[in-house]
Formats: sequence, structure tokens, C-alpha cells
Amino acid sequence: MSTMPTLAKQSRWTAVRAEVQRAVTAILVALLVTVIVVMLTSKTPFEALNTLLTAPASKPRTIGLWFDDVAKLTVTGLAFSLVFQARQFAMGVQGQVYVGALAATYVALSPLGPTFAAIPLGILAAMLAGAVWGFLPGIAKARLGANEIVSSLMLNYIAIELCNFLVRVQLREKPGVLTSLEFPDTAVFPPMIPGTRIDLGLVLALGATLLVWFALYRTAWGLKLRLVGHNARFAEYAGIKSTLIMVSAMTAAGALGGMLGAMFVQGQTYGKLTVMFEGGLAFEGILVAIVARSRPLAVPVVAIFYGYLRQGAQLMNIRTDVPAEVIGVVTAIIILLVSSSFSIPGKAWLLGLFRRPAPQTDAAVDGAAK
Amino acid sequence: MAPLLQAISIGKTYPGGVVANDGVNLSVSAGEVHAVVGENGAGKSTLMKILFGIERPDAGTLLLDGKPVSFTNPREAIEAGIGMVFQHFSLVPSFSVYENVVLGAEPRNGIGFDREKAIAEVRALSEKFRLHVDPLPAVGSLPVGQQQRVEILKALYRDARILILDEPTAVLAPQEVEELFVAVRALVAQGRTVIFIAHKLPEVLEISDRITVMRAGKTVGEVGSSEVTEQSLATMMVGRDVALRVDRAVTAGELACEIKALWVRSDAGQPLVQDLNLHVHAGEIVGLVGVEGNGQAALLDAISGAQPIAQGVAYLNGTSLGPLSTLERRAIGVANIPEDRIAQGLAGGASVAENLVATKLADRRYVRLGLLDLKAIKSNAIALIERYSVRVGGPAQAVSTLSGGNMQKIVVARELSEQPKLLLVSQPTRGVDLGATQFIWKSLTDARDAGAAVLLSSADLSELLALSDRLVVFYRGRLVAAFLNSAALTPETLGSYMLGLATQTEDEMKVALR
Repeated sequence: MSTMPTLAKQSRWTAVRAEVQRAVTAILVALLVTVIVVMLTSKTPFEALNTLLTAPASKPRTIGLWFDDVAKLTVTGLAFSLVFQARQFAMGVQGQVYVGALAATYVALSPLGPTFAAIPLGILAAMLAGAVWGFLPGIAKARLGANEIVSSLMLNYIAIELCNFLVRVQLREKPGVLTSLEFPDTAVFPPMIPGTRIDLGLVLALGATLLVWFALYRTAWGLKLRLVGHNARFAEYAGIKSTLIMVSAMTAAGALGGMLGAMFVQGQTYGKLTVMFEGGLAFEGILVAIVARSRPLAVPVVAIFYGYLRQGAQLMNIRTDVPAEVIGVVTAIIILLVSSSFSIPGKAWLLGLFRRPAPQTDAAVDGAAK
Repeated sequence: MAPLLQAISIGKTYPGGVVANDGVNLSVSAGEVHAVVGENGAGKSTLMKILFGIERPDAGTLLLDGKPVSFTNPREAIEAGIGMVFQHFSLVPSFSVYENVVLGAEPRNGIGFDREKAIAEVRALSEKFRLHVDPLPAVGSLPVGQQQRVEILKALYRDARILILDEPTAVLAPQEVEELFVAVRALVAQGRTVIFIAHKLPEVLEISDRITVMRAGKTVGEVGSSEVTEQSLATMMVGRDVALRVDRAVTAGELACEIKALWVRSDAGQPLVQDLNLHVHAGEIVGLVGVEGNGQAALLDAISGAQPIAQGVAYLNGTSLGPLSTLERRAIGVANIPEDRIAQGLAGGASVAENLVATKLADRRYVRLGLLDLKAIKSNAIALIERYSVRVGGPAQAVSTLSGGNMQKIVVARELSEQPKLLLVSQPTRGVDLGATQFIWKSLTDARDAGAAVLLSSADLSELLALSDRLVVFYRGRLVAAFLNSAALTPETLGSYMLGLATQTEDEMKVALR
């Protein structure tokens, strides 16, 4: 009996190590492919690669850009992790970001904007708006059986166009400009490190990480959520109301998405609402969540690595002839490798190369599992 | 005479280090029925997969007609004359019988499918081997026993000389087992060879000529069926003496569960249980007998709350269960060991500790103000692991990594950790080895003796006969017979009611429906 806890701890560590190995291998393979692509397409391949791999850490300003991305990637990664743990495939973070940003903008440009309440109220309003946007596909699934992937994606378009519309007709600074008025200083997150874009957003991201971890692993709601994710039929059998859990998970993730919206428009980067401000970052939370295996504490770690590559690619885009889209290659390869749990068939395949061809079937894996 | 098929010191280790076969020997002569017996996890299925080309051995050789062979896939095994019928059939339900049989090897006229010829060939085959089945209806509309015959015909149509049957009797009623055996004898009489995987020993002794016994990945020995008894075979399988006997309930107590004029309907509105009346007393086990899908599962679902009660009432100690949620039913003493532990009884990816507490998340001992008491959850798990001797690394281990028997022990431990008032049990030992079976049976009778009213459903009649104090037989959602259990009650008697060949009168049933 006395050895049992240590055994369990050991197995947990081997599992963590296996996951880290898998993620690192995926990133290395993806980088290798990137090198090949850059070599084949760029006139100045070494300069481009050098920019990709070293530029983000070269100056305080670029480090600021990098960590601003890390904060945002963490929050979207957390939002996706929450719904993924409940085995819901809601894709609505992007829409939540837009409605959250709208809500924060209305607070910032209201009479409350020039007061000290502008920052907390802006965040709160954004979270509420995001929660509503997350709740809608949840309740539609629970009550009407609507597929959450489809409904959340459609809600994304509604949110984006709504934001575009309002910026054009109501919030714009002057005709022809696709941004709102600048927010008053009191409504903009103060920089944590002067001269960089690192602001309150990073604190919010770390706080959200701890909160999501606590909610998932220390509360009854979190245990129910994970049980629903593991096996919804079992959850029902155990007396857990799985639809309630599902809707609440999507709503909570929506609040995170909304907060990300506030982080965008109230952050140092913007300080105002512009059309299409989010630039597709929200969806990159899927990659972060997948590589982090939906573990909240792993999300910021993955965000740091991925944010670095992302920033490197953007700097490469500006400074060399390689477009930032190259990062899409990296992203796609990482997702493919990680989500297909490549190490198991990969290992067997490698072993097979050295011995003799050994066919690997599902039955073999099943059998081993017994 | 040289053996037809021989496997010599076969070794197979799965990725992950599970040694499934370790120096396994098998020698099958032409024209015999050769049984391979062993507990779950003894390596029978792996050996068969190797014979059929699904798995490749890491060591050892296969000889067919004395010549070494090596199959890389089932197609090669089929071409060499080996056919296999799996426990889970691979049939197209919407296709007719003859289409299923010839699928992939259709007789042709020109470029078209010669249906006439296909039907004629299937008819001829089923006549020749006494596997009676009409070639025309859709396979999905046939009972399980007939579907199995279609599977066998499929193998024979491809000229299988050696037919491997993987636990063929597990899904059959006793009468159907008899018919299967008739067919098996017909096959052997016409020169075919049958390898028969099983763990029900009386059947093995009845049908086979020789028996190979496996235990923990090794062959323990090969014996002639006439040389052994059920007891000596069981001892060989388990490696020690086993006594699968349980004591009857001393006396039945107060009326605990009263079911009155109960109807349960499927989502599509089909009646699954019709007008059912049943009393269950504290301290007794009532066995629900029936071929799968005749209403036993639906009854248990309706009482546990997984399915709504369409009409009628079910009381537990005077409280009507219908309006209560699953959790409220659990709170007043309903416990439930479901049919399929992986699909319903456990969350495989979650830890042992989390699985053990999953039904108690409204309990102040484990959850206060919405927060988990991790210490209490862990000590609960450690205590239950110890009490039910679950073989597991620790409370944090994922349930999916456990063996079938240990998984089932987790379910049993959770459901019996609080003494239930009404215990619903379905297939408690399906796919569980003899050692764990013994333990689970003991746990059930202990719960009974402590005053639980137990409703037990099982596809294994010997289990029902061993455990039940009373038995009721379901046929198409209705009770057609009721018995007080006694030594005189045989599977054959139950079987004729299960298949709807006989029905008791109300007066006959009344005696056992107290």
C-alpha cells in the first residue's frame, strides 16, 4: 500500500514526459519542413530563417510583441480547452472576441470611460457579452439538437459583421476611417513594462489560467465537466445533468472569449475598436489547446513557444521576402502530428524499418489495451 | 497422422509490453473439434488472430499440412482454407442473407451479379451442413442465432477447411446452442475441422474431441475430452481449485420494490416492457431471464432512470420512482451495475478515484460549497481498492488502463460502497475472469444478505441459476414464466420459455410471483 502513491506519481510524470516529447518532436518536425520551404522559396533563406528564429527575442520591443501574443493565445487556448474537456466542439471564440470588444468599446466611449471604473467595467461587460455568445450555441444544442460547430461558426460571422456595421455607422471617428474614436486613457490597460505592449492583459491571462485550472480540478463542476467529456453516457448514469454541464462550459468559455475581446481593444496595441482587429488569432487557440491536451496549466507554456514562432513569422514577413503565411505550414504540421497521436504508429513504423515489416492494426492496439 | 494445423511455441508481445502469447503450442488434427479454453486474458483470442492472419507472431512457426506458413492478412488465411467467425459479426444488416454470404466473391454472369446462382449455392451449402437459414430475408431481421449461421456459411462459401469459432455460444439461447452443435457435427462429419473457443466448460466437454487449455499466455496442456471432468478442467484453467457456488438467501424480507402495470417504450414508441407486475423483497435476488432485447434491459433502465416509465408505477419502499431524477433515485438507495461497464459504467479517461466518487458528487463528505475534498476522495478510493482488492497502481491511475475484471470491480465497489436498498445488476461478470467472477458473486450475495433487493439480468444462464432466488422469464417485453429457483430447474426449461415456445398460465406464475 505504501508504494501506491509514488507509483501513481511516477506514472503521471511519465505521461507528462511523453506529452512533452510528443509536442517537442512535432515542433521540430514542423520547423524542419519550414526550413525546407524557406530554402526553396526565399532569395535570402538564411536571413529569413534567422529572423524567424531569433528576431522575437532580440529587442525589448519585440519581446513585448511576443508576450502580448502569449497573453492572448493563452486566453483563447483556455477557452478552447474548457469546451474541449467537456468534449464540445464549439468554435465560437472568434465571435465572442468581437462581441466582447464591442461591449468594452461601448463602456470606454460612454460617460464612464474617463473614470477609474472604465477598465473593470469594460472587462466585465466584455465577459458578459462573450458569455451570451457562448451560451447561445450551447442552449441551441441542448434544446434543439443544433450542432454546436455549425451554430458557433455562424455566430462568428454575425459578430464580425455586427462589429463592422457598428464601426461604419455609429462608432467611427470620421467618415472613411474604419476605427472608433480613441479610448480615453483611463479605459486603456496601463503598460506593465513601459515602452512595450505588455499590459494588464498578461495578468488577466495568468489569472484566467489559475482560475480555469482550479475550476476544472478542484470543484465539483469541473469534475462533472470532465466526466461528461470522458463519457457522457456514464455521466447521465451517475446522475450528472450533462446538458447543464455542457451549456455552462460553453458559457464560461464564452466569458473568456469576451475577456479576450476587451484585452484586444483596451490593450496597448489598439486602445480603440477597428474592423477585423483580431486577425485570426482566436482560432489559433485550437492549436494551443490541442498541443496542451486541453490542460490549463500547459496552455501558457505552449502559448510561449507558439507565440514566439508566430511573432518570428510576422517579423520575417516584414523584413524579408518570406510571407507570414509560412507559419500556416508550421501550424498545420503541428496540429496534424499532435492530434493524430503520431508517436504510436510512428514508433512501430520506425521499429519495422529496422526489423521486418510488422503490420499494425487497430486490433493490435485494442488487444494491448486489454 | 500428421496434424492439419500446428502452432509451435508462438510468442506475441503487444506494444506496451503485454505478453499475450508465450511459447504457445496448438496441434489440430483433420476432422476433429478442437476446443481452446482459458480465462479471459489467457491469450486465446490472440492465438486465433495469429492463426487467421490478423496478428503476426513475434516468435514461433505455423504449420499447415506440415508446411510452414505465414499469413500477413486474413485474405491469405482464407485462401489457405481457414475461416473465422467472430463474436461480433461482420454482416451488412440491410443486405439479404445470400448477398452477405457471397459478398466479395459473387458468382457472375458476364459482368453482372448472378443472383439466381448465388441463392442456389447458399441453399445448397445450408442443406449440406445443416445450417438452416432462408437466403432471402435481410440479415438485420434475423435473430442472433441465425445471423451466426450466416457468418459460418460465409466462411464455408469460401471453402474453409478449418473453421475457427470465437465464443460462438455466448450470444445463444440453450436451444440455439443445440442447433449450433448439430451443425458443428455435420461439418466434422463432412471432413471439416473446427476450432472452438469457449469458456463455458459443459459445452466444451459436450462438443469437442480434444481440448487445449491456456493460462496467462501459455499452454497448460492438451487433453482428450473424455479424459477430463468439468472440475479438473476448471482447475487446469485457473491453476487452483475453484468453487463457484453461492449460498441461497436465508429468508426473504419485507417487500422492497413493487412494480405495477409498468410499460416502457423505446424512443420510437415501440413497447419494450408491457404491463409488467413484479415484487422484489429485501434480501432476495430475482433473476431476469430472457434472450437479449426482450425487455430485461429496458426494465432496469426504467427503474434506474436511464429511460422514462411510459405507464404504470415502480415503488421503492413506498416512494414512487417515476418522478425522481437519477440522482434522487440513487439518494433513496437505488444502485446500478450496468450492462456495459466501458460504455456506461465508467469514464475510462478519468482516474480510479474520480470514477469511485462520480455518483456521490452531492455528498457533503466529498463536496462542500462546490469544492472537491481531494483528501476524502483519495482515501475513499484507497479504502475501496483495498476492500475489493482491485489490482491498480493507485487512485490516480486512469481506469482505461485496467483489465476487464478490475474495471468491473471498480463499478461494483462504487455501487456497493453504500449498502443499497435496491440493486440493479446487468451482466455482472461478462468478460471477467473466474477469480474476479467469484469475488463479484460474493459481493452481490453479501449485499443481498445485508438487505438489498436485487434485480439481476444476465446472458449467462448458469450465472442466473447460481445466484437467483427466484427467476422470471421475459419474452417480447412480457413475463411468460416465473420460477422459485431449485436444483431441478434447468437451462433447457428456461430456454423453451425464453424462445417463446412455452408460456405459463397466470396460476402457474402466481406461485413464484409472491
